[in-house]
Amino acid sequence: MTRIALAQIAPRLGALDDNLARHRELVAEARSGGADLVVFPELGLTGYLLQDLAAEVAMRLDDPRLAALAGDTDGLSAIVSFVEESDDHRLFIAAALLEDGEVRHVHRKLFLPTYGLFDERRFFAAGDVLRATPSRLGAGLGIAVCEDFWHLGVAPLLALDGAQILVNVSSSPGRDLAATNEVGLGTASSWRNLMRTYAQLTTSFVVFCNRVGVDESITFWGGSEVIGPSGQAIFSAPLFDEGLFHVDVGLEEVRRERISLPLLRDERLEWQLRELGRIVLERAGMAIDSTAEWGAPPGFDVAPEPVPDADAPAPAPAAPIPFRKPRS
Amino acid sequence: MSAVSAIPTDDAGRPLFELPDELAIDTDVARRVIAGFIRGQLRQAGFERCVLGLSGGVDSGLVAYLVAEAIGPDRLLCVLMPYRTSSPASRADAEAIVADLGCRSEVVEISAMVDAMYGRDADPGAGGAADLEASALRRGNYMARTRMAVLYDRSVTFGGLVAGTGNKTESLIGYTTLFGDNACAFNPIGDLYKSQVRQLAAAIGVPRAVIAKAPTADLWPDQTDEAEGGFSYPLLDRILYWRIDRRRSLDEMVTMGFERALVERVERMVAVSEFKRQVPPIAKLGPRTAGVDYLYPRRRPGSARG
Repeated sequence: MTRIALAQIAPRLGALDDNLARHRELVAEARSGGADLVVFPELGLTGYLLQDLAAEVAMRLDDPRLAALAGDTDGLSAIVSFVEESDDHRLFIAAALLEDGEVRHVHRKLFLPTYGLFDERRFFAAGDVLRATPSRLGAGLGIAVCEDFWHLGVAPLLALDGAQILVNVSSSPGRDLAATNEVGLGTASSWRNLMRTYAQLTTSFVVFCNRVGVDESITFWGGSEVIGPSGQAIFSAPLFDEGLFHVDVGLEEVRRERISLPLLRDERLEWQLRELGRIVLERAGMAIDSTAEWGAPPGFDVAPEPVPDADAPAPAPAAPIPFRKPRS
Repeated sequence: MSAVSAIPTDDAGRPLFELPDELAIDTDVARRVIAGFIRGQLRQAGFERCVLGLSGGVDSGLVAYLVAEAIGPDRLLCVLMPYRTSSPASRADAEAIVADLGCRSEVVEISAMVDAMYGRDADPGAGGAADLEASALRRGNYMARTRMAVLYDRSVTFGGLVAGTGNKTESLIGYTTLFGDNACAFNPIGDLYKSQVRQLAAAIGVPRAVIAKAPTADLWPDQTDEAEGGFSYPLLDRILYWRIDRRRSLDEMVTMGFERALVERVERMVAVSEFKRQVPPIAKLGPRTAGVDYLYPRRRPGSARG
């Protein structure tokens, strides 16, 4: 049995020292609760809506404050999230795996939403690397941050790279109250669908830790979850409430599910790679779009229908549509 | 959670208001989010109390209930600010809300303040003799700004933040007074359409008489929003919702059954009032300019009072 603790907290915006102290308290509390893994939300150490504060709360990976937090993880795994400053002074939204006193793995958020209410790309650099990581839990971990899970490649890639537990840490703003559904919040409903689908299709555990509390206009909705490898929710935390929630899971469920439903075994990666390679070249204009109709506009497979013009005296003979030349 | 409350009915069994299906919200979730928002705003600013102007209408009434739910009625000061021509019924409704909530209240008559500007009867005020003929619009705006000045004064004496009471519908069509009724420290209901305000008001227990009566700015006797604007709120809310929240084009709106001329008129109102919803622009001159490339959260470490 493996005990996962979800730290569904409300970080204080820009108050790194306060949040750090709160993390250390909760790591201790999770430890005394028998947890093997404690998960904190995206930017739990800094708060989300930082804007120009991002540079002021950034930590390098050798920051003594991070080392102090890592020092609390003897015999324990913790996933924490903060603003990471790289040697070349780029700022990343990072999630780190801390184990046995060390920083074992760092994931830099790959996808930075910059649309709607989001403005992340203005303030942060996007990560370039996605790797599953071994852990002291005896299972591979696949760590991702919030928007990473809104891109289809991320969850399967982590599972194929060896993760049995996919961990998504989030600061998801609640919105779309007008949607009437089982939880009364459009955002929560979408995420719950995603988590169950990823767990089922990757036959992996999905651990989702989302923050609560308020930054400026935005209310974060919590609703952290643990989903089993068959896509069934094992635990769903309440919406909006702060808390440390302990959830017991049997990692042997992964084996059972992957034997009865061998989706990962049956993946056709070489085929995916071949077709993706083709599509990459075609989208870059370096090869002809081999699946598009003659005359289709770039990025679209279907050629436009000629529009009949009732006022035209006589239909002009159709001009030959020039074959789209690859861009050089 | 997940409660879309039934619309309450009047004594004759008729619904108190019309709630278009697409605008129905989960009122439990809304109350939960708004209570957390109010507490968060106060905590981040280092305040524990709230002040608001209570007119007797559904918007400010709802905010009073929401604030009382979030922080307790003893930490809420409702200020009633009637002008001498204000409707006595509005005041009675406001007093009923105060009594029901058990919150603090105060009456500050603004008649003398407004008359000091425009004069009264044949006696000119500070604005001179010509202002004796000031239009209802000017007077209305001046009253709204006078009430704002009173609220920000009481913000100091009571030690509370001013809670905004404007809804999304009136903000989008610009039916607000700049730096008047739209001035506040934070607004708990500014993203709710009028129909949604009524739905939430019914769920939280605002008196039915307050929910059912015709909305009015009460800037002159017998004024009503809907008569002045020539629209009904449920229809206006639906137009704004589909056009803005759901990004439907004008042509799509017409296909859905909305009258083209009305949609176009609403669009003009929204465009013309864009300035009322934004912070005034600063001429960009230096290396870092507030709101342009100096971007900090309103509340951050060190920004809380005391």
